[in-house]
Amino acid sequence: MSGQRSSDGGERSAGLPHLTVEFFVWLWFASERDGGTMNLGEPIGVVDVWVEERLSFRAPEEDRARAVFTGENTGSAMEARAALAAGKVVRDLQLHVRREEREYTVTLRGPHLDLAGVKLPPHAPEGEDELLYERMYLYEDLWYVLGGLYRRFALERVAPAWRAQTLPALRHWVATGEIPEAAETTEASEDADDAGPSVAP
Amino acid sequence: MGLFKGALTLRRYHVDGELPDDFRERFPEALDDHAFKEPASVLHAEEVVGWCHVHNLLDTSFAQPADRQRWLYNHYLVAGLRVDKKVLPSKLFRAHLDKRIAAWCEQNQRNRAPASVRQEMKEALEQEMMAKTLPRVQVHEFCWNLADGWVFFHSTSDNANDRFRKLFRNTFGLGTTPFSPLDFLTDLPDVAESLEVQGISDYRPDGSDERGWT
Repeated sequence: MSGQRSSDGGERSAGLPHLTVEFFVWLWFASERDGGTMNLGEPIGVVDVWVEERLSFRAPEEDRARAVFTGENTGSAMEARAALAAGKVVRDLQLHVRREEREYTVTLRGPHLDLAGVKLPPHAPEGEDELLYERMYLYEDLWYVLGGLYRRFALERVAPAWRAQTLPALRHWVATGEIPEAAETTEASEDADDAGPSVAP
Repeated sequence: MGLFKGALTLRRYHVDGELPDDFRERFPEALDDHAFKEPASVLHAEEVVGWCHVHNLLDTSFAQPADRQRWLYNHYLVAGLRVDKKVLPSKLFRAHLDKRIAAWCEQNQRNRAPASVRQEMKEALEQEMMAKTLPRVQVHEFCWNLADGWVFFHSTSDNANDRFRKLFRNTFGLGTTPFSPLDFLTDLPDVAESLEVQGISDYRPDGSDERGWT
C-alpha cells in the first residue's frame, strides 16, 4: 500500500521524483498565496513558511541545476517564476520555517526529501548529552512541520479543486506574480485541520 | 560536527526489522568488529571504511564500558563513518615517471623505453609515492533513534550513502530504506495512493493539466 514501508521503498520513491518536485512548487506558491502563514491544524498549529534566499531549477530530464537564484525576496522574484514558465522544475529550495518561537532554515532537495544546511534555533544546554537531545528534538520538530506541510500539499494536490482552481491560479501567478482571490481558500485547506500528522515529536 | 554543532545535512532512513532485545550486548561488539582499522601497509591503495567515534576520528573502540557513553546517548546511537583513500597526484606522478623514462632512455641510448620497462617503472614509482602520501580522510556521522526506528546519515552524497547502508547492514544485521515523502501519509492511504499516480503539473501559462515525466 502506498506510503507504507517496504524493502524497495527507496527505489520506489527515487522513481517518483515528481512527488517532491511538485511539493517544492506548491510550497513556494502556497507560501506566497497564504502570506507566509499556514494553519496546519492540530496538533501542529500555525506555522510561518517562506522561501528564504535560494531557489534552483533544473530541466525535467536532468539532475544538475540549470538556474540558481539567491538573495533576498527570491520567492517573489520575477526571474524565478520565469524559470517555471520556461518549463523548468524546482531542484531545491531554501525555506524559513517558524513554529511558535522556534525558527529554522532548511534547504529541501531530491526524491528522498534530503535536508541540507539545516540551521536550528539557538540552543545552549549544558552537557554533551543534553546538547544532543536538544538538537534531535529540534530536528524532529522541523521534520514534524515538514510532514504537516506535505500532508497539506497532498490533500490539496489530490482534491478536485487542484485542476479547477489551484493549477489555473498557479499558472496565473507564474505569468503575472498575482494570485487570484478565488485561489486563496481551498477545500483541501479546510480539511487539513482533521489531517494533522499522526505522531507528535 | 553536525550532530553536536553546526548545520545539519542529511538523508533519512527507516531501519527495517526489529531491534534485538540484547542490542546493548551485541552492538558494542558489532561496532568493534566493523570499526575503522588502519591498513597494515602504507602501500595500501584501496579505500578503507569503518566506524569511528563522532568526537574524534582516531577513536575506534566501542566495546569497553567507558566507550559506551561516547556513542550511546539514551535511545540515540551515534557514530561516524570514516572513509580513507590514498590518491596519488596524477600530474606529479606523470611528471616523475616521464623523467625516469627519459633518464633510462639516455642511459641505455634508446629512443623509447620498452613497455615492460615502463610498466616496471610505473609500479615502482606508485609504491614509492604511495608510501609518502597521506590518505584523504572523510567522516560522515549518523544518528540512529533506536526507539522510533529511524536513522539519518549526515551526507546527501549517493556514494557515501551507499557505503553507509552497506556497512550498517553488515554491522547491525538490519537493512535501511530511504525515506519517501509518502511515509508522511501512512494514515492517509487513499491520499497516498492517489498522489502516487498523479503526473507532474504543467505550470507554464499556456500548459495543459499535466506533462510527461522523464
